[in-house]
Amino acid sequence: MVQRAFGLAFLIGVFLILLQPVQARMVTDQLGREVQVPEHPKRIVVLAPSLAECLFALDQGDRVAGVTTFSNYPPRARSLPKVGSYVNLDLERIVGLDPDLCLATKDGNPAKVIRQLESLGIPVYALDPRGLQAVMETVVKLGSLLGCEDEASRVVRRMEDEIEAVTGRVEALPRRPRVFFQIGISPIVSVGSNTFVHELITMAGGRNLAAGSKDYPRFSVEEVLARNPDILVINSMTRDNSLLEETRARWQQYPEIDAVREGRIYTVDSDIFNRASPRLVRGLQILADLFLKSFDVPVSKVSGER
Amino acid sequence: MERFRQARTVLVSGALLLLLALLMLLGIAAGPTGFQLLEVFSSLVDGREIDRVLQTIIWEIRFPRVVLAASVGTVLSLAGLVFQALLRNPLAEPYILGISGGASVGAVLGMLLGLAFFPGVAFLAFLGSMGTLGLVILLTSGRFLIRENSLLLAGVMVNAFCSAIIVFLLSISTHTKLQQALFWLMGDLSNAQQTQVIGLLALIFPCILVIGLFSRPMNLLQMGSDTAASLGVNVKAVTLILLGVSSLLVSGTVCVVGLVGFVGLVIPHILRLMLGPDHRILVPGCILGGAAFMTGCDLLARTVPAQGEMPVGVVTAVIGAPLFVYLLMRST
Repeated sequence: MVQRAFGLAFLIGVFLILLQPVQARMVTDQLGREVQVPEHPKRIVVLAPSLAECLFALDQGDRVAGVTTFSNYPPRARSLPKVGSYVNLDLERIVGLDPDLCLATKDGNPAKVIRQLESLGIPVYALDPRGLQAVMETVVKLGSLLGCEDEASRVVRRMEDEIEAVTGRVEALPRRPRVFFQIGISPIVSVGSNTFVHELITMAGGRNLAAGSKDYPRFSVEEVLARNPDILVINSMTRDNSLLEETRARWQQYPEIDAVREGRIYTVDSDIFNRASPRLVRGLQILADLFLKSFDVPVSKVSGER
Repeated sequence: MERFRQARTVLVSGALLLLLALLMLLGIAAGPTGFQLLEVFSSLVDGREIDRVLQTIIWEIRFPRVVLAASVGTVLSLAGLVFQALLRNPLAEPYILGISGGASVGAVLGMLLGLAFFPGVAFLAFLGSMGTLGLVILLTSGRFLIRENSLLLAGVMVNAFCSAIIVFLLSISTHTKLQQALFWLMGDLSNAQQTQVIGLLALIFPCILVIGLFSRPMNLLQMGSDTAASLGVNVKAVTLILLGVSSLLVSGTVCVVGLVGFVGLVIPHILRLMLGPDHRILVPGCILGGAAFMTGCDLLARTVPAQGEMPVGVVTAVIGAPLFVYLLMRST
């Protein structure tokens, strides 16, 4: 039985090699890897929600064959077949969808699954959208990969326009508010200088109190008290509102903190701030609105606050 | 009497082999994308071409996985049997001499450093396990190795110390690495690729042979080291060889699949309750029975959750413990 199986495996290997797409080309992905991709990928499995959002922003949703569990934007993505969560991918489900291309992200996708996919002959194109600039580069790279360069330019141009609008608006801020952006509830975790949320805070005119070389530094309540933020933003991946309310209540025990005293504790939609996709610009706008509001500078609309 | 024993061995081995083959077949047929028993049969029986994608799934994803599960089950059960015989302690199991502690520290460290699973993490795990094993032996050297209690105690203490280190390492890791580490610590058969499975098999076969040759000395050791010595067993040599071979087997396996618990402790006991204490029957029993048990548990771990898979260590514990209690109650 074992010999037969190895014989069959050999035959499959030959079969797969013969079945290579006739039209294929070598491209370099965002990590510098050489990947052989089909000329017109039609069945793409996207291994991260941020990349799924990018694809849909480029109007390529029809070419997506599968997504990860938490791909919930745009709503159309929710009905697509799921292949596990982006840190816990299901190899069999991915292969079962018969993809001709997989899009992976450097931060999160387990390398072992990527290697196994490649050893089965499925090309994996890796991307690394780390911040606003990198997202725009990702969009452009996806544009050339999928033959929709015009769409990509349109998306990037719109992002640039919206960013410029925000930076213009926040010039009205009298000073940079001290911002504590909380991404972990227990323990308290914030964002360091090398993260895209830090970039958003700075661009929106704020000062990130957790700036530093450590990407996700931990804080004790004492340390937050000592830094005395003007604005507390709570962003948690939990969709449990009661937990968010509990966190807010815990901060309200410390009116010594300016943010607590002035009532500037805000919760934000984690999907917008956790995903390096074109929607990050929305996050930038939300932060700008919050900062302007805290200094009573009139804004056109306030959103994202709960 | 001898004929009866031989007949019984053959019968039991045959039954377990059948069970193993059945479970392996089910294992190849079932997975997250469905249950394709008919396709497996048509693929095996008349070599007819089935859907290309299905072919890949069955033979390149599931088949190596099933072979790996069977090998892991064999190794852990056999090692458990050997340790229980050598240390004459029913609570002995493959990780008890500090192997699990050292391997875990090495592996978690490797994962935190962002090393590739193979060779990085696996190699560090192997180094760690050999390190702690050496430490345990060093701590008890000077005393005659068969002073089982000191070996055991040293092993338990080293494991406890390593656990503390691991908890600390986990506490400073980011959430993606945490999940990876947790899966490894509970047994993760999804990491291994074909080359590693083949390498593991290459290690297993000679070691199993060696252990099998020592079945009779293991029987004699149960009577006490002095009695065994008086019956012609070179106790020190036997102990060293068996200890070395089993530790090597367990370390090699742990490096590839992490810590699958319970199998090494419970399977030898279950088989002893069913087959009696003769190691000449127990060794083939553990080889086949352990493989069958592990294949079955891995099948459940892969198919029961709606999304993704469970760590296989959870399944082995949830099934193994009640099964053992039931058999224990029935035998008294």
